Amino acid sequence: MSFFRPFFQWSDGTWVGIALRRSLWLFPLVETIHLLALSLFLGTIGILGLRLFGFAMRRQKIPQFARDLAPWNIGSLCVVLLSGWCLFASEAFKCYDSIPFHIKMVCLFLAVLYHFTIYRKVTQSETSRVTTGRTRLAAAISLLLWFSVGLAGRAIGFL
Amino acid sequence: MIRLLFTFCQWLHETTFSTAIRESIWIFPAIETTHVMALALSVGTIAVIDLRLVGLAMRKVPVSEISKQLLPWALIGFGIMFSTGSLLFIAQPLKCYQSIFFPIKMGLILCAGLNALVFQLTMYSTLADWDQEPVPPFWARLMGSLSLVLWVGVVAAGRTMAYKF
Repeated sequence: MSFFRPFFQWSDGTWVGIALRRSLWLFPLVETIHLLALSLFLGTIGILGLRLFGFAMRRQKIPQFARDLAPWNIGSLCVVLLSGWCLFASEAFKCYDSIPFHIKMVCLFLAVLYHFTIYRKVTQSETSRVTTGRTRLAAAISLLLWFSVGLAGRAIGFL
Repeated sequence: MIRLLFTFCQWLHETTFSTAIRESIWIFPAIETTHVMALALSVGTIAVIDLRLVGLAMRKVPVSEISKQLLPWALIGFGIMFSTGSLLFIAQPLKCYQSIFFPIKMGLILCAGLNALVFQLTMYSTLADWDQEPVPPFWARLMGSLSLVLWVGVVAAGRTMAYKF
């Protein structure tokens, strides 16, 4: 953990961190943006999951469907990550001491890595036009990873 | 009227059920976490449907297909939101009573529901005409945008309620 400590320190001292700490309403605003963006992001993940499981939108071929959702999927993820960093910057040292935060970051790293490698490969593969065992597994892992991030994030507030 | 409401919230607060949820170490957090996580299924799914209505997302897919396929899931999501939300209210009726954002949130949910109802009763009959269009007609776009704005408001009000606590 001490490997990342300089990053925590740097984030804490940025104007973003300072501004969010000083203002009464800026933190709630950024947190609301974080929540809205993650609702949309998890929504697209969920919808992609529904398609990969064959529960909805079965007439759509998976690669095209995934490509159509991609702008909103990636776009909302960017907003989540950016707003998330802003929130982090405002309370970096509290996060440093928070076990759920570290768990969340590990899950986030794994989720993003998975999303842009294996998941992308499975959803873009032409053999994934219809639902298969492989697509179901890919969706299950995706949902598991992303909801772990969400749950761990929620736990930061409790513990 | 307000007096009656307050008396009701006070009575509810003192029931065994309400107290049990409120004072449990894990029950309230579990319900609240489910409430927030189900946002993806409810608001997240509705957002994608609305984005199609506004002509911003999935323009190659017919509106009817998106609506018919995804709306049932959104309704399941709202079912979860409503039941967990009710439990949260039952657990902390006085805090909800004291926060101005609670009636604001309920009002916005009501408006969003009405908007959806009006859409179903009016635009839906003409759906066949513009189903395949990448960009739906003006009124559909308006109602889709209104829906998005209202749900953003609901989430914002819900979050702000937590701060005022």
